[in-house]
Amino acid sequence: MPDAAMPDAAMIDWAMLDVAVLLSIGRHPVSGRARRAATDAQALEMALALRPRRLTAIHAGPVADGEALRAYLGMGLERLTLLVLPEGGDPVEPLVAHLRRLAPSLILTGRQAEDGEGSGMLPYLIARGLDAAVVPDVVRIGPADAPDTKPGSANLVQALPRGQRRALIVTGPFVATIHPSAPPARPSAFGPARRGVIEPVAAQAAADLFLSDCEHRPWRPKPKLMRVKRGGSALDRLKAATESKSGKGQLLVNPTAEAGALAIYDSLVEQGILP
Amino acid sequence: MSQPPTTRRRVDPRAERAARTVLAGSRPRLLRQPAANAVVNERRRDPRAVHEAALVQRQPRPRYDWTRDTASAGTPSAAGVFVAAVPAIPLQVIAEPAYLVLAMLDRPGGEVSEHDRQVIAAARLLADGGSDGGGSGNGGGAVVTVSTGSGEALAEAGSDRHVALPDGWADDYVPERRAAATLALMTALSPRHVLFPDSADGGDVARRVAATAGERLFAGVQGLGPDRATRQSAGGSRETGHRPTTLMTVAADAFAPLDGVRHEARPLDLATPLVAGEEILPRLGGARRLAVDPDALSLSETDFILSAGNGVTDWRSFAELGEALGATRAGSRVVCDAGHLPRDRQVGASGTVVGARCYLAFGIAGAPQHLQGITGVRHVIAVNTDLHAEMIKRADLSIVADAQAVMPALIRLIRERRHA
Ligand SMILES: Cc1cc2nc3c(=O)[nH]c(=O)nc-3n(C[C@H](O)[C@H](O)[C@H](O)COP(=O)(O)OP(=O)(O)OC[C@H]3O[C@@H](n4cnc5c(N)ncnc54)[C@H](O)[C@@H]3O)c2cc1C
Repeated sequence: MPDAAMPDAAMIDWAMLDVAVLLSIGRHPVSGRARRAATDAQALEMALALRPRRLTAIHAGPVADGEALRAYLGMGLERLTLLVLPEGGDPVEPLVAHLRRLAPSLILTGRQAEDGEGSGMLPYLIARGLDAAVVPDVVRIGPADAPDTKPGSANLVQALPRGQRRALIVTGPFVATIHPSAPPARPSAFGPARRGVIEPVAAQAAADLFLSDCEHRPWRPKPKLMRVKRGGSALDRLKAATESKSGKGQLLVNPTAEAGALAIYDSLVEQGILP
Repeated sequence: MSQPPTTRRRVDPRAERAARTVLAGSRPRLLRQPAANAVVNERRRDPRAVHEAALVQRQPRPRYDWTRDTASAGTPSAAGVFVAAVPAIPLQVIAEPAYLVLAMLDRPGGEVSEHDRQVIAAARLLADGGSDGGGSGNGGGAVVTVSTGSGEALAEAGSDRHVALPDGWADDYVPERRAAATLALMTALSPRHVLFPDSADGGDVARRVAATAGERLFAGVQGLGPDRATRQSAGGSRETGHRPTTLMTVAADAFAPLDGVRHEARPLDLATPLVAGEEILPRLGGARRLAVDPDALSLSETDFILSAGNGVTDWRSFAELGEALGATRAGSRVVCDAGHLPRDRQVGASGTVVGARCYLAFGIAGAPQHLQGITGVRHVIAVNTDLHAEMIKRADLSIVADAQAVMPALIRLIRERRHA
């Protein structure tokens, strides 16, 4: 972000802002073409929006498919470190070794790789290697605003299922994985993508023995799980399959408006919807 | 045919002959008279009694249920009244398990979720099909469920043993503590497998455990057998198979929850997870829920929906009510067609199929296309002027009244209670 406005004072204070982003190569679900991975791009977007003092973007993998990485450079990144690994090498060890030298205060990653094993373990293994905290499914990162928190702690907002949000405070350096409902990534521009520099760094990596022990085959969709009730008599099963569920509920015929409202209110309280 | 037919005494010549035989002397002798109480042969089948036992309904036409066991027979149902057959589910006890399978449950909000049940079902597959035993139901392994709250609700889901975590852990979010508790349990019980739901929280704890223990996590298991587990990899385009590893997470909706089983769910008293959990110094803290704008949520995500149909004319009250309740507003197709609500707020077959916990419907008739959209809703409340509307039949609480009168009354009531 070359010509951005000066970040405000609180921003500079907070955690000295040294950010590393781990970027993987994604795969389009339909065409199978290499592309920037969706949540990794959102992680880079969040890193750029934080306006850090130092921003390091790292990819670890074989040099062969490095071209797809240019899509990240097109987002306004000047340089990107490529840890060159042999085909099938485990990226965790070289990444931990590289990050230990950089010692960033914040590491951003996507949630799960779009290609390869995609177990979502990498952020956790890196945090383990660096002795940092892990926070999953982050949608917002900011400086801690409560006055009593220790310096170097950050306020995060985490996405929960059903659209809910949770605020958290984290102390010390941490690894955050980005949730898909974080701010969308900016589009990648062609010019900066060409101009950006990819710096290859040779690294040592052990082969992943577990993965070569697995068998792989194309995924075939499985039949959807039907919620049929088994057991009971034939009559019960027929009823369960054909009848729409009818609540054996309470019926109030022509109550006064107040009585009706009270019944609804009590029912909502009973369901735990209203306090 | 309301009286059960009187049956003749069934003669069993072999049994009678056996009863008359005296084996006292050098050779068997037959008595002239049959013994006073002739033995009844247990193995003889009385077809009339079997029919009588299987009869579940006499009118309007006889209905038989041949799966009912004859042991519970002898009480023919009253004529014309349907009596559901409730066979007692036999309790399965695994007294001396050869190995253990741990199922770490989420129990969001204290309830056993559908995903939790699926995890237990997957754990049962591993426990029952193990190599140490064989045969269904007693493969030698036992399923140990671990969650906050008591294990009573888990007996029917298939849990043999239950480890209760402290109740206080249910409300606050400290994943490091749960991970430490799991690691302590793994050392204490040395289970063969540990299964987690692949949900936001369960998957997070599983990965923490895997990273600390240095074990390989087999994440998002889609298919499971005693000697093979499969998962989706490469963005869902490949299937990866391997022997079941120690740590696995179970994908949502991959296994059918168990049904018609009863296990012990015997509580195990273990202090280790608690101690290990309390010792940890969490780096994540100060967790609190943030208020979210209910109308910004998509209909399929939200938990509480306030819905309007053609019977609503007072849109100002409707909007105020939505705000007062903190509910996401939605409507039937008629309402969206008329432009009272945007199109993405339509519930039903051609709108959104909602999975809310509670659905409050004002002036909706309950057309089949609309009801299809709310099949998954647990609690429905309907307000309609028409007693015979389908929505009234579907609802758990139905109020036959004018929506325009009930809405302001409800708003007033909520404001009153809030200030009180
Ligand atoms: C292919 C197809 C797809 C469709 N998909 C959908 C869909 O996805 N979603 C959907 O909702 N519909 C759908 N429909 C339309 C559906 O068939 C119904 O027409 C529609 O749901 C009716 O909406 P309603 O209940 O709001 O209105 P109405 O049928 O007009 O019912 C209004 C109800 O309000 C009651 N009422 C009237 N005045 C009051 C009052 N003052 N107080 C309280 N109650 C009052 C009436 O008794 C009546 O029961 C679809 C139809 C087709 C053909």
